[in-house]
Amino acid sequence: MNEKKQILSAQEELKQKEFQEEAVAHINALYNYALHLTMNPDDAEDLVQETYLKAYKFFNSFERGTNCKAWLFKILKNNYINKFRKNAREPGKVDYDLIKDFYHTIKDVQSDTTEAESDFFHSLLHEEVYQALQSLPEEFREVIQLCDIEGFTYEEIANMVESPIGTVRSRLYRGRKLLRAKLEDYAKKHGFDTDSGE
Amino acid sequence: MSAAIDGELTPKEEEELGSHLADCPECRAEFQDAKNTKIIIRERIVRVQAPKALLESIVRITSITS
Repeated sequence: MNEKKQILSAQEELKQKEFQEEAVAHINALYNYALHLTMNPDDAEDLVQETYLKAYKFFNSFERGTNCKAWLFKILKNNYINKFRKNAREPGKVDYDLIKDFYHTIKDVQSDTTEAESDFFHSLLHEEVYQALQSLPEEFREVIQLCDIEGFTYEEIANMVESPIGTVRSRLYRGRKLLRAKLEDYAKKHGFDTDSGE
Repeated sequence: MSAAIDGELTPKEEEELGSHLADCPECRAEFQDAKNTKIIIRERIVRVQAPKALLESIVRITSITS
């Protein structure tokens, strides 16, 4: 009996070790994604915690060799839909005050971003870019986030959003076009003539 | 065009786009715009670290033996 117990805990130990290395390593990306979805640090923490609980429980079903980050993102997204979606804001409506508050909450902990070099980029505030992104219809915002911020491949994104790759492609194209137009509006406000090129 | 920026074109598509861009200043400008939009999102969206307490709680959760 004792021996059996010992074998079990050795297996468990191995699972824990693998989980820490494979899954817990993505905690920052998951937390950021959760923040963007919930726009609330407490909700984001809850969401990430629940995601890891579920992921640990079903870690045996994670296909080794595939992208663990993508697997975790999908779990988080599903959790988010089940938990928050019912009370989510109406599509297309943007609460700019909420964005501003949220941005100020997280802004203190700046990341080590490198800056793009053009004046057009420099004219834009982090908050404005975030606002522009948040103002996109969700289907566009989501793929842009997953592709440009998180660096997932089209195949991984297609799997996460449960749509064909062709749809991901066209959403990215249309979303970026919309986003560009919004960013140009901001740039113009700062006095940059975006028509004359960068 | 978006797919080209993301490195998701097949070699054949890439070749076709390349030769089209060489002849079409309008598409070239659009390509550059799309590229810049990707860069701006990547560089300007602030990334934060997960709170230490959250990390610790997750490590704790996964340390409970079943």
